[in-house]
Amino acid sequence: MKKFFDSNNVRSALRIILALTIGLTFGFIITLLVSDDPIKAYTAFLTGPLSQLNRIGDWLEESLTLIFLGLAVTIVFNAKQFYIGLEGQMILSALASGTVALYLPVDPIIRVPAAFLAGMTVSVLWAVVPAVLKAYLGASELVTSLMFNSIALRLFEYILRTYLQLPHVNGIMSERVPEDARLTTFIPNLPFLQETREAWTKATSVSWMVYVALGAVLLAYLLLYKTKFGYEIRAVGANAKFAKYGGINVNRTIVSSILVSGIFAALAGTHLVLAITQRVVQGMAFGFGFEGINIAILTGNNPLGVPIASLFYGYLRAGSDVMERVSDVSRELVFVVQAAVLLLLTAERLLPVVQQVVTTDEEEAAHLKKGSVK
Amino acid sequence: MPLIEMKNISKIYDNGVVANDHVNFSVEKGEIHALVGENGAGKSTLMKILYGIEQPTEGQIIINGKEVSFRSSLDAIDEKIGMVHQNFMLIPSFSVADNIVLGNEPLQNNKLIDKKRSVEITQELSKTYGLNVIPEAIVDSINVGMRQRVEIIKMLYREAEILIMDEPTAVLTPQETQDLFSAIHKLVDQGKTVIFITHKLREVKEISDRVTVMRLGKVIGTVDTKDVTREQIANMMVGREVFLDIKKPDINRGEKRMEIKDLTYVSETGTPVLRGVDFNLYSGEILGIAGVEGNGQTELVEVITGLKRATGGEIKVHEKNILNHTPREIRMMKVAHIPEDRLTNGVAVNASIEENLIVDRYFKKPLNKGLLMDYKEVDKHSNALIKQFSIKTPDGKLPVSSLSGGNMQKVVVARELSSDPYVLIASQPTRGIDVGATEYIREQLVQYRTDGVAVLLVSADLGEVMSLSDRIVTLYEGKITGVFPDASKATEEELGLYMLGLKEQTPEEMEKVL
Amino acid sequence: MTIDLVLRGIFSTFFLASVLRICTPIIFPSMGGLVAAAAGVSNMALEGIMLWGAFTGVFVSANTGNVWLAVLAGCLAGILVAMLLAVAHLRFGSDRFLAGLAVNLFSSGGTVFLMFSLIGEKGNTSTLASLSVPNVVIPFIHDIPILGQILSGHPVFTYIAFFSVWVIYILMYRTRLGVHMRAVGENPAAATTLGINVHRVQYIALAISGLFAAMGGMSLSMAYLQMFQREMAAGRGWIGIAAVNLGALRPIPTLIAAMIFGFADALANQLGSLKIPTQLVQSIPFLTTVIGMAVYSIQQRRVAIERRKKYASEHYDEMPEEATQL
Repeated sequence: MKKFFDSNNVRSALRIILALTIGLTFGFIITLLVSDDPIKAYTAFLTGPLSQLNRIGDWLEESLTLIFLGLAVTIVFNAKQFYIGLEGQMILSALASGTVALYLPVDPIIRVPAAFLAGMTVSVLWAVVPAVLKAYLGASELVTSLMFNSIALRLFEYILRTYLQLPHVNGIMSERVPEDARLTTFIPNLPFLQETREAWTKATSVSWMVYVALGAVLLAYLLLYKTKFGYEIRAVGANAKFAKYGGINVNRTIVSSILVSGIFAALAGTHLVLAITQRVVQGMAFGFGFEGINIAILTGNNPLGVPIASLFYGYLRAGSDVMERVSDVSRELVFVVQAAVLLLLTAERLLPVVQQVVTTDEEEAAHLKKGSVK
Repeated sequence: MPLIEMKNISKIYDNGVVANDHVNFSVEKGEIHALVGENGAGKSTLMKILYGIEQPTEGQIIINGKEVSFRSSLDAIDEKIGMVHQNFMLIPSFSVADNIVLGNEPLQNNKLIDKKRSVEITQELSKTYGLNVIPEAIVDSINVGMRQRVEIIKMLYREAEILIMDEPTAVLTPQETQDLFSAIHKLVDQGKTVIFITHKLREVKEISDRVTVMRLGKVIGTVDTKDVTREQIANMMVGREVFLDIKKPDINRGEKRMEIKDLTYVSETGTPVLRGVDFNLYSGEILGIAGVEGNGQTELVEVITGLKRATGGEIKVHEKNILNHTPREIRMMKVAHIPEDRLTNGVAVNASIEENLIVDRYFKKPLNKGLLMDYKEVDKHSNALIKQFSIKTPDGKLPVSSLSGGNMQKVVVARELSSDPYVLIASQPTRGIDVGATEYIREQLVQYRTDGVAVLLVSADLGEVMSLSDRIVTLYEGKITGVFPDASKATEEELGLYMLGLKEQTPEEMEKVL
Repeated sequence: MTIDLVLRGIFSTFFLASVLRICTPIIFPSMGGLVAAAAGVSNMALEGIMLWGAFTGVFVSANTGNVWLAVLAGCLAGILVAMLLAVAHLRFGSDRFLAGLAVNLFSSGGTVFLMFSLIGEKGNTSTLASLSVPNVVIPFIHDIPILGQILSGHPVFTYIAFFSVWVIYILMYRTRLGVHMRAVGENPAAATTLGINVHRVQYIALAISGLFAAMGGMSLSMAYLQMFQREMAAGRGWIGIAAVNLGALRPIPTLIAAMIFGFADALANQLGSLKIPTQLVQSIPFLTTVIGMAVYSIQQRRVAIERRKKYASEHYDEMPEEATQL
């Protein structure tokens, strides 16, 4: 934090703000083109989530899921592993947690933690094959994790339809998770907060996962920056050959980083099923996977930035939902905006090139052309 | 009128390094002109400028009386200049013929590539200039000598009249070197001009007509080769006695610290690179390995330090065989390693200096206490090392990329030496760094050796090997070919013969002094 | 009894014919991916580009009534999107994978968005009267008893797909452009010193990969089905990338890999008609990919170990354990 006004950090912040602004403007231009009432649509997009308590709740809930996913991706990206299996892990954790919450015949005080544990176990196990194939056989983790995602989605659908499907309903879903397993609100049960508590519980389902999320952020930060495991991860990410030369077991670090991230992906899935949808339902995780990646990029792979980035993207997501409900613009616009932001953010040379075009000083232009800006 | 004139050429890099300082260099048509100097003297830079890869900060290039300016090597090629680089610019999966015509492939009816013609062209050029190559052979599978000939023919295909050769014999066997020299003579007979960068003085005498000596970015002088001796050239190169004047306390050799027996290593492509290496390292002694690069030195170091797996043999430290143990385990045995390529292995450039300094000890107390690391201690640790080793940086939290090459190497050296090594493996420790850092690192190596550390020095700089080592072994084609128990008594000529495989000691002779 | 049915199914001409058709949308992105990868700019956005190709083809054909105009439009769309990726990566220094993921996100979201904006549907364009490409009946061959049914009567895209393998071969090995692409992919520094404009070559490679991916998409929306469905590429772009991984950057091995995956896909369809759950069967191609990659890596290691053992046996009396490991 103390280096915040360092020119490098200011540059990064500038880039992020620039990318976000351009992305949102781009979204507005598209809205102008397709909508009959673009102002109404885009206003709904930008302010929708704040207009009603239940919408605020939606926003916060989605953000929580994104926090967990963002943390999961941050961990593997710090090791420079392009593992993107979080979508599959998330959905299978949701399945596992939901199943345990629904059917394990024990008191909720055991059942709920068991649900969490089941989710984590499944998520970690699902990552083993891609992790090992990458570490010990050099197989592209990008491709294997994508394959496993596709398999996970189908496995999820199969188990849901075959074993959990609620009969006589229109839609592919399971029973609702019993009341005692649903996560309660995050507002503490104190006398002077009763009114707020009731309002929130009625309108939203934002649960005490808020605290878990904050804890997860802290945990991820400590893990990456204050433990030897985190040092190993970052060393491997910075220069795997250097890490090996220095004595670090690179293969083991690669595998561990992927497995540990699975724990965070699992939290996202458990959160989805126990707090948001409260049942296992087809398509419950659509699109979340890549958003986790977006968030990690936005924060430069730093866990501390994840909450803000998640709140931001969660806001966009919630906003797009509102927009779709009240106007003629479909919610997929948010993905287009996110894609634009992602492209702009990853453009390392964006600022220098823009500067080059704008600058009149020839010498500086030549210097910029040659130099690389970090 | 000279064919090439480089007038008042200066090249100053962004980081302030002055590679060329008002250099005047000219070449006559049809001559073989040697350009010599130590590492970092500026000869490569000067030629890169001539070939258009670099632009001069100041100065002119005049070819055939006409001033030219090269924006890229394409322009230089247009002026009939060709360069044979030290690191071959070939496409490994393509054939010899394909590589030669690359960029200007002959076409059948202006549409598809005429492969037959490519082969014909290759054969014609090969015959005309006496450069033996196999047109259909895949470059990946041919030896270094042929690869070099392919590079030369590549330039001849583009009608180069002037050929710049950058350290061409660095990777050749003696026979191949002779073949190259005859080829160069043939080229000159056909009217070509050759500029020959080297630091091998014997070759300068053997083949060149004139020689230009550079030192520290400046031209010291240009003379007719027949008018100077090697010692005179060397003096011009170094400015003082040929060998560096390192004050070395007398050797006080102690116990055997590392024993290497019958070490073999096969590369991934199936070539046996180490074919049974034996030697020992003793406390208080620097053992230098002399050899032309490419004879197994790199792999030898990698195998000893656990970065590559040996095929067989033994490496014993404290009576324990550490062959193929992990780098962590080997470091635990107090074997430190200054790697040949600091950018690849020695540092992580984007990480901070302090984090680079702890890669071998981050898990030990006091840097790591139980669950969490103590970064205050890491801070203290790195500040102490920065001070002790005079690493020029205002802040240990800056990334290593902010340091100059010499200071980067100091980070590596600081880390390795501060690990309290039992054995130190130093591979090309002063390659590519400024004179100040070079001197400092050499002093440190000698200091630690005098304090009792067993040091293995691998260096392509024969002068460095000869002046720093107490004992020297020569490595040729993956085997130790000679042992010289008293480095001060060895001569460059004699070492050269062993390094080039022309002479070999018998196993019995060597065993006594290994 | 079920195995019986399966076997009979597999050896039917119907099945073998379907294999060729099902391979088509896998071969296209594989070939596109091959060209880009050979030039050193592997295209991670094949999946997304397929979607744009499929989408554009459907909408243009529905609006102009001209199927060939639609195909042209689809190809252009593919090239344009690939150029977006190219500019981001080559001009602005975006990481290739991340830019590819961004384009994929843009594609899956953008196609649904546009679909909704244009026709108010989010699932598919079944309400649109889009066209499909004609099937090709090869005069002589069609009448040969079994072979005819397998080889003739496919949508034109199938023939283009297999033909394109030959085209790509010629491109990569017999044209200057292709040879330069391969040179650039292997050693860009060397290529530069010989005057090859590395970026220009890479832009073209990406454009070609976009073209092929788009055709792959159109082979789905204008042949396999006659409409656009959200996410209709269903992972084929990624399978294409896997095929390129296995194909060692050469056209024929890449084709073989693509066909193995296609075969698995067709098998999945076949088995689906039996009482085997569709989802598990649909997973076969993806599982096959992973197994294929693992087998490939293991094979390479084996070769390297054999070399070591050979030398060690010549040098040592006893084979040291070290020689048997990598």
